[in-house]
Amino acid sequence: MAIEIKNLTKSYKNDKVLDNLSLQIKEGSLFGLLGPNGAGKTTLVSIMNYLQSADSAEITILGYDYKKHKREIKQISSYVPQTYAFYPNLTAYENLEFFGALYGLKNNDLKKRIRYCVEVTSLEKFLNKQAHTYSGGVKRRLNIAIGLLNDPKILYLDEPTVGIDPQSRKYILDVVKQINQEKNTTIIYTSHYMEEIEYLCDDIAILDNHQIILHEKKEFLLEKNSFITIKTDERDIHVNIKDDYTNLIETLNLLKNNNTPIENIIFNNKNLEELFLNLTKGSLRD
Amino acid sequence: MFRYILKKEFLLLSRDIHSLLVLFVMPTIFIIIMSLALQNTYSNTIDTKFQVAINTIINKDTKYLSQEINKNNYFQAQLTNNENIKELIYKKNFDYIINIVEHYKTEINTNKKDFHIDIYLNPSISVQNQLLFKNLLTEIISKQIMKEYFIKNKIDAKTLSKLNEKIIIIPTYKEEKFKIKPTSVQYSVPSWLVFSMFFILIPISNAFINEKNFGTIDRLKSMNISFISIILGKMVPYFIINQIQVLFMILVGIYIVPLLNGDTLQINGNYGLIFMMSSAISFAAISFAMFVANISSTSEEATTIGGVSNIILAALGGIMVPKFVMPEFMQNITTFSPMNWGLEGLLEIFVMGGGFYDIKNYILYLVIFGCGFLTLSYIILKKKENI
Repeated sequence: MAIEIKNLTKSYKNDKVLDNLSLQIKEGSLFGLLGPNGAGKTTLVSIMNYLQSADSAEITILGYDYKKHKREIKQISSYVPQTYAFYPNLTAYENLEFFGALYGLKNNDLKKRIRYCVEVTSLEKFLNKQAHTYSGGVKRRLNIAIGLLNDPKILYLDEPTVGIDPQSRKYILDVVKQINQEKNTTIIYTSHYMEEIEYLCDDIAILDNHQIILHEKKEFLLEKNSFITIKTDERDIHVNIKDDYTNLIETLNLLKNNNTPIENIIFNNKNLEELFLNLTKGSLRD
Repeated sequence: MFRYILKKEFLLLSRDIHSLLVLFVMPTIFIIIMSLALQNTYSNTIDTKFQVAINTIINKDTKYLSQEINKNNYFQAQLTNNENIKELIYKKNFDYIINIVEHYKTEINTNKKDFHIDIYLNPSISVQNQLLFKNLLTEIISKQIMKEYFIKNKIDAKTLSKLNEKIIIIPTYKEEKFKIKPTSVQYSVPSWLVFSMFFILIPISNAFINEKNFGTIDRLKSMNISFISIILGKMVPYFIINQIQVLFMILVGIYIVPLLNGDTLQINGNYGLIFMMSSAISFAAISFAMFVANISSTSEEATTIGGVSNIILAALGGIMVPKFVMPEFMQNITTFSPMNWGLEGLLEIFVMGGGFYDIKNYILYLVIFGCGFLTLSYIILKKKENI
């Protein structure tokens, strides 16, 4: 396992943000974390990156104990915040050089690593321009490039495509996939964009009401939640057909025995967004 | 690693035109303006003398009076013939009008009961200058009458007549080897230097708040960098910038102010002591800046809080108005401003040629002030769960 969390609890004053949360993420997986606003996604990622402390938790990251091996865990992890976490008045190269040096890289190693990160994120053209002059997409790419400087085993990406055009978004998603596949980097990806998670992640969890309410492999998650709607003159009956058709046969028999006429049968294959809204009850969150 | 931290801070500052203006251009302008404006306050000469009209009938005695007044550096007299007082003050711009009878000597010698001399003056003339003029007039007339009396009675009164010359003023310096006459530039350079050093608050708070708002601080904290490194990474570059300010302002005093007909800054004091003093001021200023950065959520808020508090500390600390012109209770208040500790310490070295013993208390106060605000910043940071 790359990450193992047991009984994580975090409160702000009297409000519980995470309540006895447990989660396991496999090494090398591209893990998508979904959740409505205020569900606690950022708090969870912040705790994992030592930006906040948990009230109680047992956490292991790549075999390292979270409390005892802070230094080792920080060395193998990298956090790309939702904001443009770099210096806008420095050029891309100056930013990469500064953060690379903070990761302990020196001289040729630093230069090589910068070259790699620039190549992966296609920042060559922008290296000597100050970052505040970049478009949103280039800023996002620089944000990710900085996160790759320490060649992380675990990479946290907190909504890395917010506010950018579809082309840049597609590019970033492909970069994330490439990093995951080439380096077997475990990626924890949080986003509001369901189609991104659906496209990108092989392992998906939904966080709501302070807990993980669903955690599955993508293919199982969507398959398990396929259902058939039987329309009668009285009401619509949703029948889950996750494993076999037993439920469907039983329902049809029941309707036949009761002489309920069937108006229509609709086959539904839920997408992630529908599933998300269904599970989180679709209500507006503050 | 530290090399890159320094490089980053210097690059950021070199691209921040507003901070550069506040740190280097603003104090340079202040030093030049105040050195030139206060030049006469510190020296014994003045460019524009007070204009005196002796409004009486012209005769030998009133001519003598006019000549004697003109021997003084501060006053320039002219005889006018019973002109309108208000016209003389407000149209002809005289500062003092002496209304005196032309045979004043006789009236004095005969103890005439209703004898008096009226001095009309512009109400803006200070009490000190009024007294100075009154004493001058008393001295001239007394001397004139006494001289005639001594001649008449054949009394040798050479010493008495040259008494003014016999009164010798001897400036006494703290250090014998350090005989520099205090000039406006020697007051202005340390004053505005201390003021500008405290304005390091602007770039520091901007850097801190931007790091906080852009999430850079989160990225830094998620890396293997200790809290001490983050703090030192801020303090050391700005400490160096403060020292560059010291050097820059001293050079302004030595080379720029004289170009504009001001006095030249002379430093015979110990450079090591200047560095000690400027280090203590820098530590206090940076710690205060960190505190302001931590209690502010936006750059605008930090600039307002920092700017206003710096101006108040400067006004209280004798930066804007020299301490010696303040009344006693205000002079006592100045001792509560860290800018005053910095200023007094630097003046001890710049003007008095003082040694470590003379500045040690100021250094101690500044270090305590710095430690206090640094501790407060740490507590606030902890409270916000930022570390």
